[in-house]
Amino acid sequence: MARTSVVKRTNSFYWLLLTPSLLFLTAFLVVPFIMLIVLSFREVDSLLNVLPTYSLSHYTEVFTSGIYLNTIQSSLGVALLTTVICTLLAYPAAYLLVRTERPALRTLFYILLISPLLTSVVIRTFAWIVILAQNGLLNELLMNLHLIDKPLSMLWSMNAVVIAYVQVMLPFAVLPIATSMGEIQPKLRQASMSLGAGRVRTFFTVTLPLTLPGMLSGAAIVFSLAAGSYITPLLVGGRLQPLLPLAIYQQAVQVFNMPFAAALSVTLLIMVILVVLLLGWISKRWEARLRD
Amino acid sequence: MSGIHIDDVSRVFGDFTALEQVQLQVREGEFFSLLGPSGCGKTTLLNMIAGFLDPTTGRIMIGERDVTDLPPYRRGLGIVFQDYALFPHLTVFQNVAYGLKVRKLSKSEVKRRVDEALALVQLSSMAERRPHQLSGGQRQRVAIARALAIEPSVLLLDEPLSNLDAKLRKDMQTELKTIQRRTGITTILVTHDQEEALSLSDRIGILGHGRLQQVGTPLEVYRQPANRFVADFIGQVNLFRTEGVPFERVERYGRYYADDYETEAGTSLILETAAAPSETTGTFMLRPERIRIGDGGSTGINQVNAVIRHVSYAGDQVRLLVTLAGKGELIAVAPDPVFPVLPQAGDSVQLYWDAADVIPLPTEGV
Repeated sequence: MARTSVVKRTNSFYWLLLTPSLLFLTAFLVVPFIMLIVLSFREVDSLLNVLPTYSLSHYTEVFTSGIYLNTIQSSLGVALLTTVICTLLAYPAAYLLVRTERPALRTLFYILLISPLLTSVVIRTFAWIVILAQNGLLNELLMNLHLIDKPLSMLWSMNAVVIAYVQVMLPFAVLPIATSMGEIQPKLRQASMSLGAGRVRTFFTVTLPLTLPGMLSGAAIVFSLAAGSYITPLLVGGRLQPLLPLAIYQQAVQVFNMPFAAALSVTLLIMVILVVLLLGWISKRWEARLRD
Repeated sequence: MSGIHIDDVSRVFGDFTALEQVQLQVREGEFFSLLGPSGCGKTTLLNMIAGFLDPTTGRIMIGERDVTDLPPYRRGLGIVFQDYALFPHLTVFQNVAYGLKVRKLSKSEVKRRVDEALALVQLSSMAERRPHQLSGGQRQRVAIARALAIEPSVLLLDEPLSNLDAKLRKDMQTELKTIQRRTGITTILVTHDQEEALSLSDRIGILGHGRLQQVGTPLEVYRQPANRFVADFIGQVNLFRTEGVPFERVERYGRYYADDYETEAGTSLILETAAAPSETTGTFMLRPERIRIGDGGSTGINQVNAVIRHVSYAGDQVRLLVTLAGKGELIAVAPDPVFPVLPQAGDSVQLYWDAADVIPLPTEGV
């Protein structure tokens, strides 16, 4: 009995410690979030004034209008493409991080890896404009090398958006993969080789399956960041790209249809949650196979 | 099946020489142990045979094939690792099948050979389990089955039993030996456990300080150690250092005597040996179990009066640590029924031994 009361007391002490952050989260995340959901069901009149009545009209519009279905589809597509490219690029980088034995060199690689996160998103994105523009660095270089005659139009496209996304989100894919790769006993790779498997086969039959949880959690982070980013697509893709964050911005700030913007936001959120849950489920299933 | 020829192999890490000019021939079908204390270079040697490490100099031959420059996956060896290194994401069946699938065997052939390997280690009923659902001993057997399934020319065992508890280890030793006998596969066991090496091996190679100190049958390395290092490492031993003590040959008995031999602590006794000490002899060895309790006649040779300092009773035997006139020490082991009542620390005891049990050892190799 005495023991339970001590446990209870320590528990309530932890809750006390948590209170400030819980209050903060409630006031600035939970409450606005509920308001957002409520707002998304409000009707508007022809002048876009918010009416006190509720309906599903905004959601009906999101899921029936060709424009918004197309926007959802390309948002999903860009986020998935970014996730796939990041994951593919992350493996060699993670391998290098784990394999580097000299601590100084490894620290240097870590710093290089997270360096994209050290600059502000605006500055980083402007740098991509300087590189990708019609008279930018890349076009100048290609022209000077006589590889192209006319400058390529690289900026203001989905490709530019994906390139910029990959650059900044790569560390989020690399770090979890590197962590799970570091946990694989070196003896497992030796065992695989002693049984006759070369390096490539060992990678696909041992390293890849055992780093799957790390890969999936990295993918979940990259996907949610890529689906929700707003400044990067606005600056390197242009405001007319069919992407949900841009559409939300347009509805909220330019059209001033707040309930419709709210409905788009909720749609985006649910989309991200579904993908993250799916990835989490696969990962759980896989880990249960390893140790249940 | 093939033998292994290790020809003048050395390995240097930076300015540390882990192995120096190892010359070793493991015969076909032999159970060979590499025995040594930690840091002696035995794991380095195993890694070079397996191909995980390149020798700095020298060649390694398996059968007629020079494998020095082959990667591990082309050597066709079966390796059982210390912590088993089973693939945690695969079932027992898939673990054992791993090397067979690499070899692109047909599905039925894979199944046949996995079943055969699992039957050999008596784990047929566990095929669908995953490694984390098995006990230590079972994992060990899966690891052995996995290594044997590929029908390797040589089986390498890297401290395979060190993670098991004492009783299980004994069972697995017997099982390992049985499997090796039945398959007739050339086997190299790396271990720091001298008892394991002595009881399992056809021959033992003792490594110390990066050198191969002796290669011989268990009986040879125990009874006729090549040098002081081997004598000291295998079993327990009493050592008499005799540098500078003149030995006198008495023709009448054909024996050698060191008069007024001083033990390390300065007590004198007359040491008699049946073997001729050579010029390199610096030490004589006397195994504790060769010492007998009693007065041994009154010759005054090879006998001492001692005081017991410590008694430990192990059931089948009694171990005595005695001091000679309060200075030097000897260890003596007597079989259980020698004493009707266990002696106590502080009791006096008379010890004697045969001249034939005082074995000269060369100093070199220390």
